[in-house]
Amino acid sequence: MTSLSFELTIGILKIFSFVVPVLVSVALLVYLERKVLGAVQLRKGPNVVGPFGILQSFADVLKLLTKENLLPSSSNKFLFIFAPMLTLILSLIAWAVIPISSTYVIANINIGILYLFAVSSFGVYGVIIAGWASNSKYPFLGALRSAAQMISYEVSIGFVIITVLICVGSLNLIDIVESQKNMWFAIPLLPMFVIFIISALAETNRLPFDLPEDEATLVAGFFTEYSSISFGLFFLAEYANMILMSSLTVILFLGGWYPPIDIFPLNVIPGIFWFVIKVFLILFVFLWVRATFPRYRYDQLMRLGWKIFLPFTLIWVVITSAFLFYFGLLPN
Amino acid sequence: MFLVGSFFLFAAFLITTCIFVIFSKNPVNSVLFLVLAFLNSTFLFILIGAEFVGIILAIVYIGAVAILFLFVVMMLDIQITTLIFNIKRYIPLALLFAGIILAEIIYLTVFKTSKDNLDTFIRSKNNTEQIGDVLYTEYFIDFQLSGIVLLLAMIGAIVLTHVYRPTIKRQNIESQNLTTAEDRVKLVKIKSGEGIKDD
Repeated sequence: MTSLSFELTIGILKIFSFVVPVLVSVALLVYLERKVLGAVQLRKGPNVVGPFGILQSFADVLKLLTKENLLPSSSNKFLFIFAPMLTLILSLIAWAVIPISSTYVIANINIGILYLFAVSSFGVYGVIIAGWASNSKYPFLGALRSAAQMISYEVSIGFVIITVLICVGSLNLIDIVESQKNMWFAIPLLPMFVIFIISALAETNRLPFDLPEDEATLVAGFFTEYSSISFGLFFLAEYANMILMSSLTVILFLGGWYPPIDIFPLNVIPGIFWFVIKVFLILFVFLWVRATFPRYRYDQLMRLGWKIFLPFTLIWVVITSAFLFYFGLLPN
Repeated sequence: MFLVGSFFLFAAFLITTCIFVIFSKNPVNSVLFLVLAFLNSTFLFILIGAEFVGIILAIVYIGAVAILFLFVVMMLDIQITTLIFNIKRYIPLALLFAGIILAEIIYLTVFKTSKDNLDTFIRSKNNTEQIGDVLYTEYFIDFQLSGIVLLLAMIGAIVLTHVYRPTIKRQNIESQNLTTAEDRVKLVKIKSGEGIKDD
């Protein structure tokens, strides 16, 4: 009995050791985004609260917490409150399988990558339930857009993941990283790497694919009717999802916790440092893209997903497996 | 003990959610309960150690099929009060399906007892590798045939719904991308007092 409660305590502590840093980095990411956008647009960005304005997002969270939570009278009350919770829960439970070093992971399961794929595809439910439960036109249109968009881009994400898995021969995330000890998959699979980042932008509803919350046409899309902390949960979940997709990119293509070159001064630095640096770089690309590109029109988005990414990734899967088979490089 | 307990927990949830799928007045709630039912069956698959099948069930049915259901059902304009239809009409068909599934379960559990070498086969590797081993070798024909059936269904649906409307104006992306500034804009220097000469 004591051993069981001991294990339970360790497990809960481990979960907190992932969730708390993720939530703190969400706050810092929001700050970073505003600073980067400010720099790109020749402004200062937040600079009042705390040194260099670094406490700005904490102040925003406090403001959201103290506001009144409004429920639209014609909404479906249970689903209306449930949707933001679901979105945040889904963006946090995915961290259960993310390995930040070869030993430090909450659950090292055989099918880690499939678990991540499943959880990220459930993410659309939060959006679609929120849009329907609001019982209002703009949220509903946002929900429909998001459902079609996320299904379209999951297809190409699936094929990209399959290409990586063919090269690895395992569905375990730690195996995937360890097979990149000598060469990161971003080098031989460069086109897949680019497609994965673009699809990750679409999957997390980030610009230039943020049509579910397109403020130019849909007010705020699926969270038009949300206020105070229920809006805050959507906001948290969006940024937590960004960090999650960046970690997934790092695990699949950038060699996880391994240093760029396996030589003396670099390989004594702990792996978590490299992991965080790489995640940060991918996140910077997300913000950079947001500051640079205009929003896609919806038919252009669908065309890109179905007519360009899908055939391209499908052909690349065939080419990769044929190459590995012909040169006898298939794992196992 | 823990396994048996969780089996009964998830099985009870599964049956309850299935009942709610049938008796919910609002079709959107029905689909959401269907999602819960899929999720519970995923848990049941994971409990018997078939984690690959379970997760694939979750990805395909919850992540894609149920979303499309939800997509369609949300757009239907259904008056909830008119939905109380005559359930009795569907009872014979439901009994037929239930009978077929019951017969399959009885056949598998009672008559097909020689599963010893299957058991040793299952224990030898993890189940993802087993599926990979047999899917394209022993079950190649069955796998390709089921793929062709799905392809036929897809083509059939497209043929039934696709109507060519010549009046719709479409954009030609290639010709749009090939245009340059010179095709669209012309800079003209105008002397004051003369105006633009049309040429």
